[in-house]
Amino acid sequence: MSVLQVNDLHASYSSSGSEILKGISFDVAENDFVAIIGPSGAGKSTLIRCINRLVEPSSGSIIFKGQNITNMSKSELRRVRRDIGMIFQEFNLINRMSVMDNLLSGRLGYIGNIRTLFKAYPRKDIDRAIELLERVGLSDHIDKRADELSGGQRQRVGIARALMQEPELLLLDEPTSSLDPKISREIMTLVKEMAFELRVPCLCNIHDVQLATEFCNKIVGIQEGTKMFEGDPNNLSEEKLNEIYAMEVL
Amino acid sequence: MKSEEIIIYRQKKRLRNIFIFLILLIMVIWSVDVTIVEDTDWERMGSLSDVLSSAGRFIGIDFSLFPDLIVPSIETFMISILGTFVGVIICIPATWFGAKNITPFKPLTYPLGRLLMTLSRSIHEIVWALFFVAVFGLGALSGICAIAVRSVGFIAKMSSEAIEDIDVGPIEAIRSAGGNGFQILIYAIIPQVIPQILGVIIFEWEINIRRSAILGLVGAGGLGLVFFRQMNTFNFHGVTSVIISILGIIVIGEFVSHKMRKRVI
Repeated sequence: MSVLQVNDLHASYSSSGSEILKGISFDVAENDFVAIIGPSGAGKSTLIRCINRLVEPSSGSIIFKGQNITNMSKSELRRVRRDIGMIFQEFNLINRMSVMDNLLSGRLGYIGNIRTLFKAYPRKDIDRAIELLERVGLSDHIDKRADELSGGQRQRVGIARALMQEPELLLLDEPTSSLDPKISREIMTLVKEMAFELRVPCLCNIHDVQLATEFCNKIVGIQEGTKMFEGDPNNLSEEKLNEIYAMEVL
Repeated sequence: MKSEEIIIYRQKKRLRNIFIFLILLIMVIWSVDVTIVEDTDWERMGSLSDVLSSAGRFIGIDFSLFPDLIVPSIETFMISILGTFVGVIICIPATWFGAKNITPFKPLTYPLGRLLMTLSRSIHEIVWALFFVAVFGLGALSGICAIAVRSVGFIAKMSSEAIEDIDVGPIEAIRSAGGNGFQILIYAIIPQVIPQILGVIIFEWEINIRRSAILGLVGAGGLGLVFFRQMNTFNFHGVTSVIISILGIIVIGEFVSHKMRKRVI
C-alpha cells in the first residue's frame, strides 16, 4: 500500500482567486524518492504545502497511511503532522536559538505546553538529537546559534530537525534552491542516504532537473497545475521535458 | 505662453501671497492681544528689571537640601521601574489584540487593542496621575499606576508592529511539525521579536523617569513632591536643587538605558 495517495487535488490561494492546482493525482510508495518538477508558478510549492495542509486544498483527497487527512479536525491534523517532516528552501530555523534547541523543536508535537515553556524534553529526545547531529556532521556546532551557521550547515540542521519527528514521510520544498551546486549535491546525498537508512519515503519539490533525475526514482512533472508526466526518470524524454517547461518565461 | 500672460500670472500670485500674509498677520496680532496683552497681570510683573530679578531668585543652589533629596530620588527611580514593569504586564493583552496576525478575532479584538493603545497615549500622564490620586490618594502607588497605564500606548504599539513584521518561515516550520498555537508563540514568534520589544521597554523606562519626576507635582510621590513643597515655601534655591537632581537622575537613566539597549540588540 502506498504511504501517500493524492487524488484529484484542487487548490487556489483565495476563494475567488484563480485555481493553482487543477486536479493532481499521484502516489508515493514506501521506498520512493519522488521529485516534483515543473516551471515556476506551476504549483509545485502549493502542492507540497497541501500535503500537510499548510495550504488548504479546495477539493480532492489526500490519503496518508490509509487516512483521509483533508477532512481532519485541527487536533487530529496536528497529530498527523508529527508523522510528516518538512524541509524548507529557506531553512526556517529559529535563528536566535541554538542548534540543539532547533533540533528538539522537531519534538514539539509530542510535548505539552509546560514542558515547552521550560524546554524540558525527555531524555531520549536529547540522546536522539545528539545522534542525529553526529550523523549530519554537526556535533561541533551543537551550542552555536542557528544564525551563526552557513547555508549548508543550516539545511543539515533542518534535515536533522525533520528526522527528529521520526516521520513516515518527508516533504522537501526546494531544499537546495538557496545553496550552491556543490553543497546542493551534498545535501541531496545526505537526505537520500538518511531517508534510506530510516526507511522514510520522500516527496521533493525541485527546480534542478539534473538533481531530480539523479537522486529520485520517480518523477512527477507539473505545468500550470496539471500533471504532465509521472514515472521513471529514465523515461523522461527530452521532448517531454521541453513540453513540461514550454510555458516557462526565461 | 506669451510674456504678457506670464507677467499677469506672476502679479496675481504676488497679490494672493500678500493677501494671505496680511490675513495671517491680523490673526497673530489679534491672538497676541487676546491671550497675552489682555490676560497678563502687568502690574504684578512690574518693569523689566523687576522681571529679571524675579527670575534671578532661582539662581543659586540650596546645598543643604541635597541629603534630603536622596530618598525622593530613589523613590522616583522606583516609581519609573515599577510603573514600567506593571505597564509591560498590562501590555500583554493589548499587544496580542493589536497585532493583525495573532489577534484572536480580528473584527472585534483588533480594533479593541488599537483603541486601548490610543486611549493610553491620548491622555497625558498628569491627567492619569490626577485620576489615580483621586482613587488611591497621595503617594507613589498613584504614580506607579499612572506610569503603567501611560506606557501601554507606546510599548504595545511598537510590540504589535514588531510582531506583524515577523518572518512566517519559522511559524510554518513549527506548524508543520505538529506544534500548537502556544508552541508557535514560544518558538516562532517570541524569539524573533524579543530584541525589539526589550529595546522598546528600556526606551520607555527612560522616558518614564522624567514622567515620574513630574508626577510628584500632583502628589504622586518622588522628587516632584519635594519640588512642590519647595515652591510653596518660597525656597527658590531649593527649587533649583530639585531641578538639578531631576536632571541628574535623567542623565543616569539615559546612560543606563543606552548601555542596556546596546546589549539587547
